[in-house]
Amino acid sequence: MNSIRTIFLYELWRGVRRKGYLFATFGIPVILFVLMFGYNFIQSLQEPSAPDMSQFDFDGIEHAGIVDLSGQFTEIPTALHEILQFYPDESAARTAMQADEVDVFYVIAADYLESGDVTLHLPDFSLSLLNNGPVEQLVYRTLAPDASPQLLQRLGEPVTIEPYNLQRANDAAQDEDADFLMIYVFTIVFLMALFLTNSYLLQTVVEEKENRVIEILVSSVTPGQLLAGKILAMSLLGIGQIVVWIAALLLALRIVVDLEAFATVTVLLNIRIQMDILPLMLVYFILGYLLFAAIYAGVGALAGSLRESSQYVALFSIMAVLPFYVFTVFVQTPNGTLPVVMSIIPVTAPIAMMMRLNVTTVPPLEIAISLLLLVLCVALLMWVAGRLFRVQTLLAGKFPKLRDIPNLIRG
Amino acid sequence: MTTTAITTRHIAKAYGDFQAVADVHFDVYKGEIFALLGPNGAGKSTTIRMILDIIKPDKGSIEVLGGKLTEAAKNRVGYLPEERGLYKSVSVIEMMVYLGKLKGMAGKDAHKKAMGLLQKLELADFAKKKVSELSKGMQQKVQFAVTVIHDPELIIIDEPFSGLDPVNRMVIRDLLFDFRQRGGAVVMSTHQMNQVEEMADRMLMISRGQQKLYGAVDDIRKQFALHAIVVEGKGDWAALPGVTQVEPHSNGRSGALLHLAENATSDSVLAAIAQSPTMQIEKFELAIPSLDDIFIRVAGEDKAS
Repeated sequence: MNSIRTIFLYELWRGVRRKGYLFATFGIPVILFVLMFGYNFIQSLQEPSAPDMSQFDFDGIEHAGIVDLSGQFTEIPTALHEILQFYPDESAARTAMQADEVDVFYVIAADYLESGDVTLHLPDFSLSLLNNGPVEQLVYRTLAPDASPQLLQRLGEPVTIEPYNLQRANDAAQDEDADFLMIYVFTIVFLMALFLTNSYLLQTVVEEKENRVIEILVSSVTPGQLLAGKILAMSLLGIGQIVVWIAALLLALRIVVDLEAFATVTVLLNIRIQMDILPLMLVYFILGYLLFAAIYAGVGALAGSLRESSQYVALFSIMAVLPFYVFTVFVQTPNGTLPVVMSIIPVTAPIAMMMRLNVTTVPPLEIAISLLLLVLCVALLMWVAGRLFRVQTLLAGKFPKLRDIPNLIRG
Repeated sequence: MTTTAITTRHIAKAYGDFQAVADVHFDVYKGEIFALLGPNGAGKSTTIRMILDIIKPDKGSIEVLGGKLTEAAKNRVGYLPEERGLYKSVSVIEMMVYLGKLKGMAGKDAHKKAMGLLQKLELADFAKKKVSELSKGMQQKVQFAVTVIHDPELIIIDEPFSGLDPVNRMVIRDLLFDFRQRGGAVVMSTHQMNQVEEMADRMLMISRGQQKLYGAVDDIRKQFALHAIVVEGKGDWAALPGVTQVEPHSNGRSGALLHLAENATSDSVLAAIAQSPTMQIEKFELAIPSLDDIFIRVAGEDKAS
């Protein structure tokens, strides 16, 4: 037990000092907040999108032609006499533009009231001419000729949304987009923590093998103790990482609703975090972690180099993320055949069950079967990894043939 | 209190169809340096790994320090494998303390002992350096320090002098002698026969997994002694009574190897030389083969068979 503690503490100490771990654990949340606040800040610097009705500065446009096919605009408002000029058709307007009488001309579509379509014709491409101000002034001043500048300003930006999210309090309606986002974010967080810390486990196993420290270690402790100490340390690192990320995510979701730049992203307002399923998700995370830890450790024990082992573990990692590839099925029919089967097969269960738990109520029997199979599979793979750890010192840096692996496991 | 550090009884290990070790049977006593010899692939590493419980024997029994190699007993054994193993990216002292703690030492004790050993090996200034920054010879010395950091009663050491210059070789040799002096047992696996002749008290030679020679080093050399003497000097050696054949000595110098008749002895030949006014001797010794010769002969015979 003392040896396990020594290995655990040493691996933990080595792990938390890894630059990659520190960056992933704390750097990613920092980047999230920087992006969030940065976007909000940049948005706040930008000029309001509503037209300023008192301004008649239209960049490079001093004179513009109007071809009204809708019949809605019969005369030029007084304030725009110096700027706008009607033309009966496109060819007349084009002739005027070619003769430099106007800088640009707008064609208001026949179905303008239904579609709002207006086409801007330019003599050549110029950013200073890409301006819809003149025609907006025409519309406002024709449709609301008596409106004050303040009213026109308000018409340009009719409402400023102040969200108050009833769903968060009542948990009343379902929002498929919010559920989708929830699954997406949580699955990404889960997978990153799972594979990142297990990749450290793989690294330490292969490193000790490449450095030949393994032979000294197994002359001091049993392979089982070595494996247990390493896996416990990496599990704690993984859990620590996921706790930091989820805390950052919860904080970000709490903050984001108050940021003006995100006020119209209603999907964020509808995200529901079900605190009651978090403990079960943690159980799935730990079991999923241990399952892949055993796989990674076993592969690390067999492989001769980090590159070689990475190729082999990639095969298992693909299996783990399979539910993620069909997440639309999980959102639409979380209790359908495919999600149910995937949440019971041990290698896909951690991700699949976590996805289902977020969007539906999973029958307790399915959870029980899934957990039982997962626990059995973890126990079996841990035993196999322990056996492979014992024989790894005999392998001379070359991945054994598949048919030899059962013999190695038997010792 | 037992005086036996290792007792093996008819141990055997096969990997599939390949019999790595077959019926090996030996004891190692406290206060001795025991050499484990054999050509490459003879089964030396497998034997060591079985002693250390890294792999299990298919047959036979092994006792280490008076019983099974429990976790507590492992803490009384130091092991230096042939393929040296050190963490490259951590500091020397950090690695030594960790490996000391794995041998049951308290952190403070491990640190104190590690610094003492580094001082003795003239590596104290490198304690905080990363292992990867050390030269190969320095790494070898650190490796040796790791092996003895926990004051073991038994050291199993594979090629202890590989990669060391003559000065550092002497330092390590003296540490091993000192360890033996204090009652420790050393199992030394090596190909360097001169070191075995110089350091080992007893030896075991295995070839193709089979036990070939076992006993005190001097006894084994005498066992292979020819009925002959080696002389250096001047004179007609063939004219001496009792000498049946003269051939140049294999050491390539000026000596001659004199084969004796069955009824002749080295004493009678020496007396004859002393009485001869025309002969002068600078060296006179029994023709006892070196361990190198014995090794080549035994391994060669085994290969031929």
